[in-house]
Amino acid sequence: MGEIFQIGYVVGGGLKENLRVRLAVPSQDVQEGAFVVIESGDWLFYGLVTDLQLGATDPRFADEQSETRFPPQLARLLHGQTLFTNLVVLPALMMETGPEPGSPEYQAWVDEIESGLRPQPHPLPIKTVPSHHAPVKLASAGDIVEIFGKPEEKGNFVIGYTREQGHPVCINLDQFVQRSAGVFGATGTGKSFLTRLVLAGLIHFNRASVLVFDMHNEYGLDDTASDTGERVIGLKTKFPARLRVVGLGEGAQIRGQTPDFNLEIAMRDIQPADIELLTRELNLRETTPGTLESLVATHGPQDWFKEFKRMKVGTTIENEDGKRVPAPDSVAFWANRAGVNVMAAEGLHSKLGRMFRLPYIVEEPAADTVKEIVKALESGQHVVLSFGKHESDLDYLLVSNLLTRHIRQVWEQRTNDYRGKGEQEPRPLVIVLEEAHKLLNREMAAQTTFSTIAREMRKYYVTLLIVDQRPSQIYDEVMSQLGTRISGWLGDDDDIRAVLSGLAGREALRGMLARLQPKEEVLLLGWGVPMPLPVRSRRYNDEFWVELLGKKSKKADPDEILRDLGF
Amino acid sequence: MKAIEIGRLLRASTTGFVVGCRATPLTAPSFGALVRVPLEDGTQIFGLIYDIHIDDDGLVRQLVTAEVADEAVIADNRQNRNVPLEMSVLAVGYQQNERVYHLLPPHPPLSLDMIYLCAEDEIRDFTAAGRFGYFRHILRNKDLPVGELLAAHLQAAQAAHTQAGNHSWIIDATRELITLLRDDYPTLMNVIGALSDAIPEAMNDE
Repeated sequence: MGEIFQIGYVVGGGLKENLRVRLAVPSQDVQEGAFVVIESGDWLFYGLVTDLQLGATDPRFADEQSETRFPPQLARLLHGQTLFTNLVVLPALMMETGPEPGSPEYQAWVDEIESGLRPQPHPLPIKTVPSHHAPVKLASAGDIVEIFGKPEEKGNFVIGYTREQGHPVCINLDQFVQRSAGVFGATGTGKSFLTRLVLAGLIHFNRASVLVFDMHNEYGLDDTASDTGERVIGLKTKFPARLRVVGLGEGAQIRGQTPDFNLEIAMRDIQPADIELLTRELNLRETTPGTLESLVATHGPQDWFKEFKRMKVGTTIENEDGKRVPAPDSVAFWANRAGVNVMAAEGLHSKLGRMFRLPYIVEEPAADTVKEIVKALESGQHVVLSFGKHESDLDYLLVSNLLTRHIRQVWEQRTNDYRGKGEQEPRPLVIVLEEAHKLLNREMAAQTTFSTIAREMRKYYVTLLIVDQRPSQIYDEVMSQLGTRISGWLGDDDDIRAVLSGLAGREALRGMLARLQPKEEVLLLGWGVPMPLPVRSRRYNDEFWVELLGKKSKKADPDEILRDLGF
Repeated sequence: MKAIEIGRLLRASTTGFVVGCRATPLTAPSFGALVRVPLEDGTQIFGLIYDIHIDDDGLVRQLVTAEVADEAVIADNRQNRNVPLEMSVLAVGYQQNERVYHLLPPHPPLSLDMIYLCAEDEIRDFTAAGRFGYFRHILRNKDLPVGELLAAHLQAAQAAHTQAGNHSWIIDATRELITLLRDDYPTLMNVIGALSDAIPEAMNDE
């Protein structure tokens, strides 16, 4: 089990109120969030230090500064006996270790396991407590491997290191992509770097395709860190063949570089639901759905947007009687004929003006890029959609939702084909959503495709990776479905509550989340990880890339590339 | 080394006994000293002197009020007095078949049994046996000046152990005392205060 470092012994507590452990080493040697192992009988108990409390056998011993009255040695002896520190340990897992190794009972126990009479011991959720005076140790590297998995095993990705001893802690990417996950943290707490790490891990592992809605153009191409000013390597640089960077709009430039291809949206792809989604953003009225319905009824589901855009507001002509009436190309003309309130129709037309002016919504795109993105994802590539200069909420809401709706349809179809007709199994897809609260808040969640994905698309091989700084704004129903939650520092009580919703030991973890060191530490949470644990997050730097990809992925020599190309 | 006789037993009970002796400065044992009473069956009873008192008699009362006290008269009164100097001893353990028990003796010593002052090696043997069980007898007695008695005893015992090169005995003893007394703040403070007066040098080094 590696080095043994006993820090104390159990003195009380229980499952509900956590365990109390008398600390036998200086309190500075143990920090909140330390991963501890308690040996008791044939079982190992794994827990998390959630609090350290100063105690005294009599409060008077604590009140009086006896070190000033007595000789130092005597004062030390007195303090050693009367003043103490108790750890509060949140027990999380337990595992059977069997009798003392080497004893005949142990051999019998091993034989029982090997012959299948007894289940292979593995970590179980905590169901009992260790006995009084059971020794408590800081977890060794072996203990962490036992719970979180071996770093060198395929599918395990080192997300960080334990705070005290720096043992690597893994998350299992196979499990990670099976459920929706979330990365949280207040702004400036290293959320983007953490997301880059996870994305790099996912792309490298290559079990699932990744689609990133990159609202702030951070992930695809090389970037400069907003705080340190240092160069940040983009994912495209490291995965040139596997990753496609898509820019929004024709001729889009992302940080002065040209993306792999550009996304344009055909007018026929826009549906009334896409507009309704923007009710708040465009300040639409309650008459909007009725008006849209009439538009679709008149012009059909493919052409309504195009036709509505063509209509003019306020144009009139003189009729046979010499009266001025709405011109045939006017909104009012159509409204009168369709039996829609003219004011409502004209109001909607003017409010959709912002959409009509979006350059990336075109009548006939040069290529069907939506299809191309889906194809890339299906064929195992990864896509980063950079919004370029279209960084407004309107762009983000519209494009991400529209694209996702398409993807959802395709994946549902593929899954049904796989299940029904025995065709090829669809490739799992992870959709990465920045500023997720804009799409998954209480009002919006019912309308967007994302909440459906979070709730049930796991069955259709699509999951979400939510990246957000205000988890409290995200709809509870979506939050409760997140398997793995990785959270940096959060200050707001509501946000903390949201991240911890539905987890055991919330109260104990609450303080820990508020005391994480920004940029340095994150808390792993949720039922996607074996137990909650704060870790020192891995640095996103050259060293990380060498560790992930091996030496050969170092920046290629241009001469070498030319040679490879045959020049 | 010849054993130092300090007197003979006046009266006894299971928990302690009183020794009477002539008041001679050389042999007078000190407060807190460890003494022993060998019995006929080979058992030895150990005790700590917790009180020394000198009763008056009629002659002393007269002499105290006399205007001029002759030196010779005072010396005569001290050496040839009718009433002995009395020392109260707290029974703290016994030795039977070479083994030390920190328990009350099975039966008390008999009248006129000879009481000896313990030599340093005897102090070491008695105090190092077991885990300071004899502290119980001292701490149980609320009427005793517990702090002072312990300080005097630990001072003497520490000197004996230090001479034999054992510096940790006093630390262990103090730790045990704190453990026993940590729920009794006033008594513990009393004891610690007395200890820090009695053996400051032993408590100063690292």
